[in-house]
Amino acid sequence: MANNANNNEVLLKVENLCQYFKINKAVDDVSFDIKKGEVFGLVGESGCGKTTTGRSIIKLYDITSGNIYFKGKRICAGTLSYKRAIADAKKKLKQAIEDAKNDPAAAARLPEIKAETAKFITEQKAEMAKAIHDHKNCDKEYAAEATKEVDNKYLPLINSATGEEKARLVEEYKRERNVAKKQRFITQIQMIFQDPIASLDPRMTVRDIIAEGLVIRGETDKKKIDEQVFKVLELVGLVKEHASRYPHEFSGGQRQRIGVARAVIMKPELIIADEPVSALDVSIQAQVINLLNDLRHDLGLTILFIAHDLSVVKYFSDRIGVMYFGKLVELADSDELFKNPLHPYTKSLLSAIPLPDPAYEKQRTRIVYNPLAEHDYSKEGPTLREVKPGHFVYCNTEEFNKYVSELKD
Amino acid sequence: MEKKLEVKNLRVSFKTANGKVQAVRDVTFDLNKGETIAIVGESGSGKSVTSKSILGILAANAMVEGGEIIYDGRDLLKITEDEFYKIRGDRIAMIFQDPLSSLNPIMRIGKQLTEAMILKGKARQRAAKHEFNTTLKLLNKWMIEANPDIPAAEINQKCKDFDAFEFKHIEIEQSYNEAVEAANEALSSIDDGLFLIEKNALTNYKEKANDVANLASKTYDKYVVTGDSETKLKTLVGELKAVKKTELDKMADILSSIKALLTTALERKVPNFFRMGYYLKFANQPLPDLSVDRLDEYLLKYLNDNFMNDFLATAQNALKHSASVHNSRKEEVIKLLNDSLPVFSKPLLIEKECRECEKTLINAVEDSIDRLEINKDSVAYTFASGLKSAIDSYFEGIKRNKASQKAHDKQQAKYDRLCARGKKPDWKVIPAALVDLEASAEDIRRVILRLKERYEAVLAASGERDFAKETIALVDFFKANASDSVYKVTKGMAKHKALRLMEEVGIPEPRKRYRQYPFEFSGGMRQRIVIAIALAANPDILICDEPTTALDVTIQAQILELINKIKAERQLSIIFITHDLGVVANMADKIAVMYAGKIVEYGTSEDIFYSPAHPYTWALLSSMPDLDTNEKLEAIPGTPPNMIYPPVGDAFADRNKYALEIDFELQPPMFKISETHSAATWLLHPDAPKVEPPKIILDRVARMKQRGEENNG
Repeated sequence: MANNANNNEVLLKVENLCQYFKINKAVDDVSFDIKKGEVFGLVGESGCGKTTTGRSIIKLYDITSGNIYFKGKRICAGTLSYKRAIADAKKKLKQAIEDAKNDPAAAARLPEIKAETAKFITEQKAEMAKAIHDHKNCDKEYAAEATKEVDNKYLPLINSATGEEKARLVEEYKRERNVAKKQRFITQIQMIFQDPIASLDPRMTVRDIIAEGLVIRGETDKKKIDEQVFKVLELVGLVKEHASRYPHEFSGGQRQRIGVARAVIMKPELIIADEPVSALDVSIQAQVINLLNDLRHDLGLTILFIAHDLSVVKYFSDRIGVMYFGKLVELADSDELFKNPLHPYTKSLLSAIPLPDPAYEKQRTRIVYNPLAEHDYSKEGPTLREVKPGHFVYCNTEEFNKYVSELKD
Repeated sequence: MEKKLEVKNLRVSFKTANGKVQAVRDVTFDLNKGETIAIVGESGSGKSVTSKSILGILAANAMVEGGEIIYDGRDLLKITEDEFYKIRGDRIAMIFQDPLSSLNPIMRIGKQLTEAMILKGKARQRAAKHEFNTTLKLLNKWMIEANPDIPAAEINQKCKDFDAFEFKHIEIEQSYNEAVEAANEALSSIDDGLFLIEKNALTNYKEKANDVANLASKTYDKYVVTGDSETKLKTLVGELKAVKKTELDKMADILSSIKALLTTALERKVPNFFRMGYYLKFANQPLPDLSVDRLDEYLLKYLNDNFMNDFLATAQNALKHSASVHNSRKEEVIKLLNDSLPVFSKPLLIEKECRECEKTLINAVEDSIDRLEINKDSVAYTFASGLKSAIDSYFEGIKRNKASQKAHDKQQAKYDRLCARGKKPDWKVIPAALVDLEASAEDIRRVILRLKERYEAVLAASGERDFAKETIALVDFFKANASDSVYKVTKGMAKHKALRLMEEVGIPEPRKRYRQYPFEFSGGMRQRIVIAIALAANPDILICDEPTTALDVTIQAQILELINKIKAERQLSIIFITHDLGVVANMADKIAVMYAGKIVEYGTSEDIFYSPAHPYTWALLSSMPDLDTNEKLEAIPGTPPNMIYPPVGDAFADRNKYALEIDFELQPPMFKISETHSAATWLLHPDAPKVEPPKIILDRVARMKQRGEENNG
């Protein structure tokens, strides 16, 4: 179902994302782009950091380092990289001072170095302040802009209107302004969770669950909320009557539809689907995948699809990133990835997929991945390199050359 | 192929507040030795209920409405709980879906692994002792009866002698066992010590050294460590005791050499203690100094000349006599069984008559069992409990039917009353949960017929029995039980075995892991532990209930490989339950696709994947993407039917776009497509219109065939 989005507009840009929990590097230096309208799959075994990546993007965690841009705007920023740069600079300066004690030539250069370092540190501190500001205030700024827009739209109208018309306009203006004031930029990214039972509040009706986002955003008009809820229910293949029921009255597939409806009602541009089908029966899995596919075409959604079932990811995604222990080890178009897997971990992952073909299954051998035996990073550390246009692998120069020649054969 | 398990017409329902839910309806399949059968279906299709009835762990509100599950001649649905203890977990083991909830969170892994082994060891000791004594008494009795020309006192003396030297044999063997155990414990302690020295973590070296020295010294002169190696071991132990704190390297060397010595000692041939026992008891002189083989030969000759040949001849007579007596009784039983059939074939059974019949039958059958036979005929042994429970369930059914009909009538009357008053009640009348009495009576008849068939077969084969062989087997049986009665499973042995098991299922550093709690393990490792526990009793049949559903792809692949490996090594029969057809292709020899409590398609995995015939199988296959799928997936519309009101016709008809009119009116029978493949759909009827499977499946099969040809060519 790969539907290569032709436009190159980058919707989400993840830059050197690091997410550390104390000493545990859950996500370590991960970078990728998601283009508008595409489905980006993220695969890997449990504990490799794919869910953490998704949660960091939607700001459920404060990231440790790196930047995340959504529609060109920085929404998340970490400070560790700046702190490290400053510490490094200070260390260098210290070394220089040590050297200067014995070496007159170095002593002569010392004031210059000192000035440079001081400048560098102020620059970095300014950057850091900017990052913190962006991280904290992107939503506020967005809300301020939205409020301004509403002001611009209504104030002239109100001024020129009279009598009843004016009263109506003022009423409308107040409501819209209220909504605009509570606007959050981050609501344009929504999340669908893995377990449809655990992610729905059992004491809320389906209507309340779906409308919760709208209510938090400041929508108070019950009629308008109902209207939207019913519309979105229909969109995900449920009916109006379901709105007054409770989650336990639904089957697994229907519950996951409610989860999807809750995300879609906020009119998001990006949906982060965190293993949305892993907990479902095969037949229901197909229903949910088809639903996401339809929505994506109808609403022009962009989806970050996190899963461990490779057949489903392959079927659903345009591009796939493979993660291993917090690192993105390979990134390519989904067809390309399955045709020419380069990183040994990807190969091992692909060799583990069971297929509904007994004859093939009887001779399938699983490739075991042992990072210590596969790589020699003692001389040169690995980075993410582009082996072929659009095909990135995490490797060092030696491996890079090997992969390039492998691709040529 | 040896059939391990037969499930025939199994029907299970659940009594709920809303009525009777028919969870399993008429399920039939066989399981051969070393074979895997996969049961595939959506949640709620009754696949887990089927497996739970095999293990006898159905919920309290479950009613087994009919059918039988034959394992080793016994019907698992009818045997008593006491008899089930010997099967559940021991012969048939289960791996559950969620490894975390099937392990005890506050118990160390090691304890969970060894708990059952130790308990079972004790039970086996008791059982073996009992078996030995009763069988010997019985043999004594029949010997006297079969050999009228030999005075009874002489025969009694013979049996006494046999018992006496068996006792000596046990004594020797016990001391040998203790020595072996000490050696094993010493080995495991040495491994521990070496591990700690290597990791530089041995804090209390003195204690360790003393421990090993003590254990090693228990192995002298008990037929384990003898001769030269004994002196060698003694010097090594002396050196070990003198080791100083700074000499840990030296200690490691000493430990390694002790280990080598003990390992070779354990691998040595074990002398025959049975023969040795006789010699030591009656010869009144020390053992001649010979090598193990020569010694065994010498002892055998001594034993045969003095006692055994004579004893065997008498015992053989006894066996022959007992067999002929019991055979004639069996003939009588067959007659009785035939006579009793009309009693149980009436349209409505009469309780008093049935109970009387039951009593006479059970007594006659108990008398007809030849208890000197070592291969116990489990059909005859379980006949009493089987017949009793079948008759009980019939008459209980009558009582229950009355009660539930009464409740139903009351409710119906209330409903009618309300309707008559012009009200519209917002509740439905729950249909009465009635037990099918006809099927229940059929069950009783089946128990009787099965015994009849078995006895007829036994009588037909009675001419070919080789009593000489059987006598030897009987003596071996005595020996085995005597050995078992002194074979004590200690903590150390259980630990040793548990560590081996952990290694077998691929857990690295088992020594460290042995002392950890379940939460310290990852999901895949936990599932390995569960598999190890299931394998501890060395079962015949392993039931895997969605063992990999909670795990991700790589771990899933590892666990499946592990199960396949163990299956091949141990000749296990596996029942594999899953909803993921992709997993099945790798595992299964046969596949049963279940829907709404029925098997709708049954065949080898090639049949199901290359030429599926039932629309439900098509739907399952086409709702699952593989790596080459690009079309829109065909999700199955709707939900499975409510099994309180099972559909009249084909249960899948409502969700089936290929449904014919007859599908809504009549349930399709199983149509045979080939020797191995059958499916329950009217589409296979000769008069049905020809329907092609969905394109997505045809494409996939074509792709698979192409790939197969490429691989072969």
